[in-house]
Amino acid sequence: MSDLLEIAVSAAASGCVYGLIALAYLLMIRPTGIINFAVGEWAMVAAFGGYLLLTQHHWPYPAGMAAVVAFMFLLGWATERVAVRPLVERGAPLLAPILALLGMLVIFRESISVSFAPDPHTVPQAFGFGRLELGPIAGSYQSFFIIAVTLVVFVGVWLFFERTVAGKSFEAVALHRRAAALMGINLSRVTALSFAGGAGAAGLAGLLVSPNISAHYLMGVPLAIQGFTALVIGGVGRVEGALLGGLVLAFAEQLTARYAPIPSGFTQGVPLLFLMLFLLFRPTGLLKAKA
Amino acid sequence: MSAWRPLAWVALFAALAAAPFFLGSYHNDVFRKMLLWVALALGYNFLFGICGQIAFSHFAFYGVGAYSIVILLFQFELPFAVAALLGLALCALVALAVAIPSTRLEGFYLALATLALAQLFIVLLNEGGALTGGTGGLANYRLPEIFGVRIAGPWYTVLIVGLVALTFGILWRLDRSWFGRACRAIRDNPEAAAAMGVNVARTKVIVFTLTSVLAGVAGMVYAFVDNTVNPPIFGLDNAFLLLFMIIVGGAGRHAGAVIGAVLLYLAPFVLSPLIGHHHVLVFGVFVLVAILLYPRGLIGIWDALRQRLA
Repeated sequence: MSDLLEIAVSAAASGCVYGLIALAYLLMIRPTGIINFAVGEWAMVAAFGGYLLLTQHHWPYPAGMAAVVAFMFLLGWATERVAVRPLVERGAPLLAPILALLGMLVIFRESISVSFAPDPHTVPQAFGFGRLELGPIAGSYQSFFIIAVTLVVFVGVWLFFERTVAGKSFEAVALHRRAAALMGINLSRVTALSFAGGAGAAGLAGLLVSPNISAHYLMGVPLAIQGFTALVIGGVGRVEGALLGGLVLAFAEQLTARYAPIPSGFTQGVPLLFLMLFLLFRPTGLLKAKA
Repeated sequence: MSAWRPLAWVALFAALAAAPFFLGSYHNDVFRKMLLWVALALGYNFLFGICGQIAFSHFAFYGVGAYSIVILLFQFELPFAVAALLGLALCALVALAVAIPSTRLEGFYLALATLALAQLFIVLLNEGGALTGGTGGLANYRLPEIFGVRIAGPWYTVLIVGLVALTFGILWRLDRSWFGRACRAIRDNPEAAAAMGVNVARTKVIVFTLTSVLAGVAGMVYAFVDNTVNPPIFGLDNAFLLLFMIIVGGAGRHAGAVIGAVLLYLAPFVLSPLIGHHHVLVFGVFVLVAILLYPRGLIGIWDALRQRLA
């Protein structure tokens, strides 16, 4: 039992990272239908941003974090401008922006690989090394920090969608693009915002996870896979689903690594297995979209 | 004119088959790998360009074919024909296991699932211990006699030309059948295809499985080109490169696939003195430009030129 509690905090922290990546997918899929495989590379870029500001230039953590997230908003907005908007305006099929974003994925990855040495780069933790014990549950400072930041983000996004007119306009676009446009909603602004928000969420995930796995130019794809698996588990329709899916996936991974008698690398098969099982038996995910 | 068509094709493949006898061993190697890329691109074009399905697993199946023939022949010491058939059966099984769940829903689930599959495949190769040779892969084997014949040197290149001809023949015939038209209908408008009586999910599963098995066949042939198989060859980078070949050449056209494959395969030889190993970055920019400005690829530009001249 104490074994399980030992896993709980670190699994919850990984789950939160997956949840943030899933949220990034969700923010873009809902209004546009576009699945952006470059979210993993966004996380990677943010991790390198953290390395640059926090490790090399010794910025204080809050300032570095704010700067990285602000930069990610800008990068997401720019990505939408370059690779999505021209195609949407031309009325190209949905596949076209998805492929253009795959091109961007390679451009992000190769730009980083050209600019930094190929070995992993360390990124500092928000509160340094340390272990926090709350009764029976315990974990590193960074794990608790990841959980806290993720909860704040999800509550913020949930309030945005439920309580603000701008959030409602996102939902309206998701439900019916043409009708939403006729109601006077600015479609291109919603799309630009969804990409900026997606890059912000993915970047946050990359920055938060980078102390554990180090910034490396190949870190993006595994995160991208875990993120969309979390999304399929939770259900594409609901913001809470992204977080729930992330947590389910992370606990499954860590329990497999702990108890299954297989080499540790094989736990990377857990996302694919969950993806197949959910697509077969519960394609709507755990949480159904609201009618 | 049309009566000469088949003859022209025979002449083309005969010329390709004759070429290795005039090439040195280095150029033979380059030529063989280029032909293998062409075979892969033709198959991938059928899946992505003609049927409109994105998948990232084509290169993984190339690897499944290559690894399975080597493991079955030299670790389990099975006869050649049995090893080849088992390898193909394995490709088909894996393809079905991934395609059946992920084509049930509208959307890009096949792309998601195959990305996870391709990533997992590399992990399995690296962690496979003695069976897969781990990170170093397997080496020090050579092609056994097939039905009493030992194929080596330029004759192996001839065999690869045969592979390309076979791949092209199968896909060309399929493209011109009701099946090919069903695939194009699914790409252009799945709802309309379904309304016309096409079983959309089943067609996608069949196309994915067929093209994956073709990739597996190419992989089996590849296994005896370098006489070594190791994980980095079958990674995601090459899967992206294959997709880029199709986009740059022109999706949905056999000629486009061939042009894209030849061009992007040969480009690093020309580019590396200029920009070192950063050609992948250049390819990324190519792809973005192609999608934004020339969605029909190089073959589309060629068509437009020809129309203007005619």
